[in-house]
Amino acid sequence: MSSSRPLSPHLQVYKLPLPALMSITHRLTGVILSTGTVLMAGFLIALASGPEAFAIAQLCVSHPLGQIALFGYSLALFYHACNGIRHLFWDAVIGLSIPAVYKSGQVAIVMALCLTAALWSVIYFVV
Amino acid sequence: MNKSRSMQTPLAAVRGLGSAKSGLHHWWNQRMTAVAMVPLVIWMVSLCILMTGASYQDALAIASHPANATVLILFVAVGFWHAILGLQVILEDYVAAEGLRLVLIVVIRMFAIALAALSILSILRVAL
Amino acid sequence: MAQFTLPTNSKVTSGNHYPAPEGATNTKTFEIYRWSPDDDANPRLDSFEIDLDDCGPMVLDALIKIKNEVDSSLTFRRSCREGICGSCSMNIDGGNTLACLKPIDDVKGEVAIYPLPHMPVVKDLVPDLTHAYAQLTSVEPWLKADTPAPEGRERKQSPDEREAVDGLWECVLCFSCTTSCPSYWWNGDKYLGPAVLLQAYRWIADSRDEYTGERLDALEDPFRLYRCHTIMNCAKTCPKGLNPGKAIGEIKKLMVQRQG
Repeated sequence: MSSSRPLSPHLQVYKLPLPALMSITHRLTGVILSTGTVLMAGFLIALASGPEAFAIAQLCVSHPLGQIALFGYSLALFYHACNGIRHLFWDAVIGLSIPAVYKSGQVAIVMALCLTAALWSVIYFVV
Repeated sequence: MNKSRSMQTPLAAVRGLGSAKSGLHHWWNQRMTAVAMVPLVIWMVSLCILMTGASYQDALAIASHPANATVLILFVAVGFWHAILGLQVILEDYVAAEGLRLVLIVVIRMFAIALAALSILSILRVAL
Repeated sequence: MAQFTLPTNSKVTSGNHYPAPEGATNTKTFEIYRWSPDDDANPRLDSFEIDLDDCGPMVLDALIKIKNEVDSSLTFRRSCREGICGSCSMNIDGGNTLACLKPIDDVKGEVAIYPLPHMPVVKDLVPDLTHAYAQLTSVEPWLKADTPAPEGRERKQSPDEREAVDGLWECVLCFSCTTSCPSYWWNGDKYLGPAVLLQAYRWIADSRDEYTGERLDALEDPFRLYRCHTIMNCAKTCPKGLNPGKAIGEIKKLMVQRQG
């Protein structure tokens, strides 16, 4: 008797190219930013709640774990923003050839890393 | 995917209930909020740099400046709107059960609006 | 929840090994997905060692050689062997393409051959394309016009207007692109996918067609069109060098344009 048809393998066998990996990263960073911005809102609420609440918020932020979280948040933010701008060009049907997609992808990654590095250099060495 | 024992023709299954004749608005709003977020994020990041290690009085002064307060309010409002739109797309992609999907979209939306309202209220309390 | 892992009855187990004939020096191993509705088993991966000195250059040549000389039960679709009929589309070395256009030498190491991803399998490398064909029918891929053809002769089109369907008419409907799209994997029941949307755009872009508005109406749906998130696996994998992602972008642009 013919058994129920199997489903052919997908993620298990497909070699996802760079644009696809960047796309899922864009989604992942979006989710990270959504949850992280909740904490950002918490910071603002602490600011409005008086000096004691604010002091606690500043302690959390300056704690090493807080700094790591902030670093991760900023990297996610810059990646999502740079790749987001790339998406906006695509929505205008600009740069949708495969060579252009690869090139703009590399630019977006480099920009995101540079902006993150620049931000943290400013925070640690200037401020 | 294993088909259920439906006797519907494949074409009937594809046609389903017909086109929703909508979808553009969601797509357009996500792009509009994205464009708006570019300058707002730049300004926000600058504010974060200024607020690094700042005292309570300094932080208050930064946040209560009318331009900064406006940007903060817009960042929260537009940011949460953009996030809600994005999260809705993610749920539509991965949650097949329509009832569960609707519940999740509504719950996340309400949570985000509540948090946005509280944040905006906080900013107003500081700025006014 | 979209299933990221395979259902239990679809998990691939290890299969049979067929060594190369004696004295073969230039060999390559082909690992091929096998499943038959006649045995009550999970799919398996058979490996075949082939003498490349006695085989044509393309992956399809190797498949035909295996079927002729080693295991005649190996089942796959094929016809023109020159990349125009669209029959032999499958997943080779992790990417979807036509087996008759994929040189064996392009693949380093073992050649892994699977059916088009996330599709019900009829047998071995043959996917069930019924739903995909129904989706194609649903966009009415033929000329629709209320104005009768002038005196029963051809409907005229300027060279520029004709150019507008270049990059669209050449599609061989192999569905490599559609089955490479993660959005189609998770929502293929309602999302039309790159191949069908490219064909939909082929008729939207054709100046002789008079039903553009209705065609756009039919597509404006959060699932039919807007599951496309510009992942661009489609254009990367198209064996004919077409760009469905760009065609979909043009459709979205028209959606905005008609809102004013």
